[in-house]
Amino acid sequence: MKEYLNKGVKKIITEFPEVAEILNEYSIGCVPCSVGSCLLKDIVAIHNLPEDVKQELMYRIEKAIYPDRDVKIPVLERKEEPLSPEKINYSPPIKKLVEEHMLIKRWIELIPKLVENLDIESDKQLFLDGVDFIRSYADKFHHAKEEDILFEYVDENLDITKTMLEDHKAARNHVKAIIEGLGRQDEEVVFEHLNAYKELLTEHMKKEDEILYPWIDRSLSIRQVGELFTKFNQADKKVGEMAPEKYEKFIAKLEQITFKQKEVKR
Amino acid sequence: MSGFECPGSRTMDFRENDKKVIEETGKRQSQLKQWPIQLHLVSPTAPYYQEADVVLAADCVAYAVGDFHQDYLKGKAIAIACPKLDEGQDIYGEKIKSWLEDAKINTLTVMMMQVPCCMGLLGLAKQAVEESKRKVPIKSMVVSLQGEILSEEWV
Repeated sequence: MKEYLNKGVKKIITEFPEVAEILNEYSIGCVPCSVGSCLLKDIVAIHNLPEDVKQELMYRIEKAIYPDRDVKIPVLERKEEPLSPEKINYSPPIKKLVEEHMLIKRWIELIPKLVENLDIESDKQLFLDGVDFIRSYADKFHHAKEEDILFEYVDENLDITKTMLEDHKAARNHVKAIIEGLGRQDEEVVFEHLNAYKELLTEHMKKEDEILYPWIDRSLSIRQVGELFTKFNQADKKVGEMAPEKYEKFIAKLEQITFKQKEVKR
Repeated sequence: MSGFECPGSRTMDFRENDKKVIEETGKRQSQLKQWPIQLHLVSPTAPYYQEADVVLAADCVAYAVGDFHQDYLKGKAIAIACPKLDEGQDIYGEKIKSWLEDAKINTLTVMMMQVPCCMGLLGLAKQAVEESKRKVPIKSMVVSLQGEILSEEWV
């Protein structure tokens, strides 16, 4: 089993597809991951599962890999349910990042409505404003805090960090394609990359809120929490402390527009 | 007699626990790096508070937690207070504000006993931070009468 604990999850899933189903059952969302090179042992550790649940998971994975092996069934005593993301007690700087996700999530929810109800010729400015939101708020205001500050506190060689950085790069490529599409008035390209951006960021933020951030929080000392809090505030000042308010207004306006259009359609 | 007894002053006897304790030898080093420590006596701008991680502990905490020095005081600055018995607590609020604004402390950890009257210490700290122009992360820790950490969370 040691051999598999030190193997990338994608390789294990390819060899033993049943493992994918098992991981899904335990809400470990590694299956659709674009990289999949995280080691099985790191995945189990990073999810902070209660000891009894961890034992059960490992038993089932071992059985899937070695069906004929006489694996000892762990004595299971369910203690408490794992915390849901809403109940996670994030440290103040990490909570700031989670709260920034809320506005990005509101934008992402609007994407299908934009695609359905608007056209890129007559509503070009709205799409450009959306791109500005992604670039200025989601990327410059939010992702930059992760890349320039938060990830300094994490081992940059860890696969989960690499995966997050890959996601940021992929998101930037989608934005580039959207801008090019808008320039050429190629609606198909714009909508295709907007949808792809939505899919990517939805999964990305879920991984961060539920796995990465709580894991980082557990490893931070109280000294580091205070440092992060100060550094995030300084970074916000650099970008402009009015940015959240400005983009909150933009999203609220967009919500109103798409809501009205939905009403007109009815 | 109403049958109600204040949890803060109810008599409790933990001597039975002596039997479970493993005898330890050797001396432990104190982790206290400052004087004074009582909140009325400290100057909030003293050098040891500058950019420090500060523990604001209820008076009883260090007596209840066996490894207080090693686990919670090491590397930190401290002040102690009793939200139930101390007078002039408006000055406490001003001093906490000064920690944030003048000494630019890094974090504030409020350690309290589980008895209800102790929660006033957290209320005092929260109010001072709310009124302060500068914010810092506050952590709340609640200690049981026998020194276990019952809860530890960011406020």
